[in-house]
Amino acid sequence: MKKLYSIFKQGIIFDNPLLMLMIGLCSAIAVTTNVSNGIGMGLAMTFVLLFSEIIISLFRKLIPSMIRIPIFIIVIAAFTTMVDLVMKAYFPDLSKSMGVFIPLIVVNCIIMGRVEAFASKQNLASVIADALGMGLGYTWVLIAIAAVRELLGNGTLAGIQIMPASYQPILFFILPPGGFFVFSLFISLNIWFKKRMEASARNRELVAKKEAA
Amino acid sequence: MKKDMTKLGMTLMLFASLACASLAVVYAFTKESIDKQSEIQLQASLKELFPQATAFEPIQGLVSPDPNIKFEAAYEVKSDMAPLGLAMKATGPSYGGAATLLVGIDLHRSIAGVRVMALNDTPGLGMNASSPTYYVDKTKKVTFLGQFNEKFLTDPFEVKKDVVAITAATISSRSLTKIIKLAGDAAIAYMDQKAISAPAENGASADAGTDANAQPQAGGK
Repeated sequence: MKKLYSIFKQGIIFDNPLLMLMIGLCSAIAVTTNVSNGIGMGLAMTFVLLFSEIIISLFRKLIPSMIRIPIFIIVIAAFTTMVDLVMKAYFPDLSKSMGVFIPLIVVNCIIMGRVEAFASKQNLASVIADALGMGLGYTWVLIAIAAVRELLGNGTLAGIQIMPASYQPILFFILPPGGFFVFSLFISLNIWFKKRMEASARNRELVAKKEAA
Repeated sequence: MKKDMTKLGMTLMLFASLACASLAVVYAFTKESIDKQSEIQLQASLKELFPQATAFEPIQGLVSPDPNIKFEAAYEVKSDMAPLGLAMKATGPSYGGAATLLVGIDLHRSIAGVRVMALNDTPGLGMNASSPTYYVDKTKKVTFLGQFNEKFLTDPFEVKKDVVAITAATISSRSLTKIIKLAGDAAIAYMDQKAISAPAENGASADAGTDANAQPQAGGK
């Protein structure tokens, strides 16, 4: 249980797919102009990641290593298409605003990377923990970045006007350069936070050693 | 080696067919709902464009002069028996792929309104065409498509001249404007051909409808 929790935790800060592994950034920058898009993309992505990892993990002994990549792509593409169809059928508004980015989950490196590096080698329980951790790590970063960009660039949050009407939106933040800018700020913050955590862990160890002595 | 390849091919085929089968199930399951959604959306948009209308009769034979832009459907809009205008469902290329718009044209040869049926574009930029809270004119709260309301087809319809573009999405703005103009022109040609016009019948339709304020206003301009 403890092992599963530590796998789950990895994806949120230490191995965060966007801020530490730095994969899947294109679609992340593209959809984070609006908080509701961030939530929708995060959930869709988590769903595809979870089910692809489960399937690959279950069948990992049956997949010949020579053709593993095409098989991964088939599995991922199938789940992505399912998400796309379900969203069109039951959440037409969300599907409309996400546009082309849902089909593009297929080529999102996060899923490919996790499937190749993790799911094809691990058992079911750790794979579920990894997928949920990575999915949550992806989702929170999307929401946080989208909140900053939407608030400064459009004066709204999830489409609701927050800033006073006199506020002149800074369009820069909605455009791609603003996306890179906010992204880099988050990456630096995350590294700073990670370093601090590591330092305090080392301190604790030292203290424990001294006490033992 | 040859045996290996056959085996690998078979495995890949097996995975692909399993994926296909499960996709087919999901597709069959969601198809009805997707069709219903787009039908609901179409009906709701038609009703929005012509609140007084009681019937939308599909018409055929409208051909687009531009090979890239297609007219998927056209409706003669009627309130009881009096004509109110035409609604065109037109699809054309835009920045992020095909865009489908519903264009309403009233009897005064002006645009009654435009609604987005399907649009793939950059969220936050071109996608703002379908956003009800993105204003090209912030003080008057006019949306990108809202600026076409009551606009006469005799206008040039040129982006950055008489049409305000969406910020940072000029290509999308141009393509959408072109679809609207083309659909509008075709509708007017059809109305001229069938001799559907405003003056005499307008009194009858105004009686039938409760909210006819917009029409005499548009005609008076």
